[in-house]
Amino acid sequence: MTALGYVAAANAVIWLGIWIYLLRLDSRLAAEERREPGVGGHRE
Amino acid sequence: MKILKLALGPYMLAVVLAAFFWPKPARGFIGESSRIVFFHVPCAWTATIAFVVAAVASIVHLKRRDDGSDEAAAAAIRQGFLFSVLATVSGSIFAEVMWGSYWNWDPRETSILMLLFLYAAYLFLRGAISDPERRGVFCAVYAIFAAFIMPFLVFVVPRALASLHPQTIINPQGRILMDVPTRSVFFGSLAGFTALFFWLWSLDRRLERMKRRRRALE
Repeated sequence: MTALGYVAAANAVIWLGIWIYLLRLDSRLAAEERREPGVGGHRE
Repeated sequence: MKILKLALGPYMLAVVLAAFFWPKPARGFIGESSRIVFFHVPCAWTATIAFVVAAVASIVHLKRRDDGSDEAAAAAIRQGFLFSVLATVSGSIFAEVMWGSYWNWDPRETSILMLLFLYAAYLFLRGAISDPERRGVFCAVYAIFAAFIMPFLVFVVPRALASLHPQTIINPQGRILMDVPTRSVFFGSLAGFTALFFWLWSLDRRLERMKRRRRALE
């Protein structure tokens, strides 16, 4: 694989990591908001 | 909304891979360095959107004086600051490749540094005032003031002075000088980064709202 390929792969992995982290954070927040009626207000 | 958040992953993955493999490197640039345009410009663009959103939320806050609009403005500035830092770092990497130094005190570099200071001051101001009501009003006024300075730093200063910076997308010819693959990936990346900002902004606001309600319950 070329150097460009490695950089592209690293970027792709970093992006996927950020995306998965954000999805998990979003789900956790939604669960917290559902659990505490006074805290939420967010609707999907 | 959930479907958009799920779709953003594969969408941006496609943009990232296309950015490296679809368009040919632009002429007049060393090696593959021109590909930074697909990440650097969307970061700067997203930061600009964030600061405008913060100004609008601040105007709303001065009218309504509610916690939600204050938190919305602060969240937008935090995200805008983050994207400004990313634009500065990616620009510095490009500068090193093209001009042999990470920092050249070029007008574009200097103006983004001033932009960072301008909004860092907002974050310090937020941390310095403990009374939420006063903090909300002071910060809203400052965010509106900063939004008047911001366009000069982003759009006017770098164009008014001679710069090493490559020709901007909004150029004197009034045309986008990109071939179809470059243009497609570039605008695709702009759309993806904009969506990412609004997602981050929403997460930040929800977190702040949860913290505020928890404090109130304690």
